[in-house]
Amino acid sequence: MELNILELKEKYIKFEIKGITPSMANALRRTLINDIPKLAIHKVIFHHGQIRDKNGNVHDSTTPLFDEIIAHRLGLIPLPTDLNMKFRDDCDHPPDEGCPLCTVTYTLNKHGPATVYSGDLVPHGDQKFRPVDSLIPIVKLKDNQAILLEAEAIMGTAREHAKWQVTSGVSYKYHREITVKKDDSDYWEEVKNSCPENVIYEDKDKITFTDDRKCKAMAKLLSFDNPEIKEDNSWFIFQFETDGSLSAKDTLDYALRRLQERFSKIRESAAIS
Amino acid sequence: MIIPVRCFSCGRVIASDYVAFVNRVKFIRENEKREPTSEEIENIFDELGVERYCCRRMILSHVDLVDEVIPYD
Ligand SMILES: [Zn+2]
Repeated sequence: MELNILELKEKYIKFEIKGITPSMANALRRTLINDIPKLAIHKVIFHHGQIRDKNGNVHDSTTPLFDEIIAHRLGLIPLPTDLNMKFRDDCDHPPDEGCPLCTVTYTLNKHGPATVYSGDLVPHGDQKFRPVDSLIPIVKLKDNQAILLEAEAIMGTAREHAKWQVTSGVSYKYHREITVKKDDSDYWEEVKNSCPENVIYEDKDKITFTDDRKCKAMAKLLSFDNPEIKEDNSWFIFQFETDGSLSAKDTLDYALRRLQERFSKIRESAAIS
Repeated sequence: MIIPVRCFSCGRVIASDYVAFVNRVKFIRENEKREPTSEEIENIFDELGVERYCCRRMILSHVDLVDEVIPYD
């Protein structure tokens, strides 16, 4: 078994795993989708009634969107996550209370006319919890409208709600090799020139490409008479992107540890009985 | 109404990309006095990292109506 990272950005990763079965690949995929904990806003307390700004002007707490919709939109904002934080259920206090180990509190206060952005959310205490993406529009306000609210963010997983989903577009495919005869057409030269790193084998009458790395020009290979396509069902090319609450590398690292942890729990319970 | 925060199908955050997309399209309209071509639109999406067509349709098919309901409190 071997894992190589093919491409790595802060929020995107592409990697290959050799020597696993499709069921193992799918277990990793599902763990990446719904078993990574992250922070998301879970409770919002709105201030209703008059809201005064610094200059003493009175604003009304009405907005063009319903409070429920605003609360839902706040929940979907990606917040930077510290994986050392606890789930609220694992804390000792009653479940409706929070403590610094399991909860981050935010306030939002803005007066119209304005667009309220995710960047207007201010965390209490540590400023490292400021939303990763500060340009997500939440609601628009006209003059003499204002919004004042307090929000609590807790850890959760996507098993419960999509707002706790760290990854998107998690997918895998088999490693594929496409061999064409050079005599059939001259297109192979064009493909080779535009994606030279996709060539894995070449001799005087044949050339073999792989589509492990993205290459738009490769579609041309299918116009050959009979391209020989081989797939390897023990060699997987994975890719996914994160919403920024965790880096792609940390997400993969956590998913692999999480799988191991879940299997060792099964082993432990088997040993007792 | 207002642009959804995430893509309905895959969950990618697209609301901030929508703002950037609209600004880029406006820029072309104001500077070149014409509509952006489909290649230019494809380019904007590629540069914003909006790759999948589920996310692209979120942005392309959105009609922003908040400004129209704001006056009615
Ligand atoms: Zn999408």
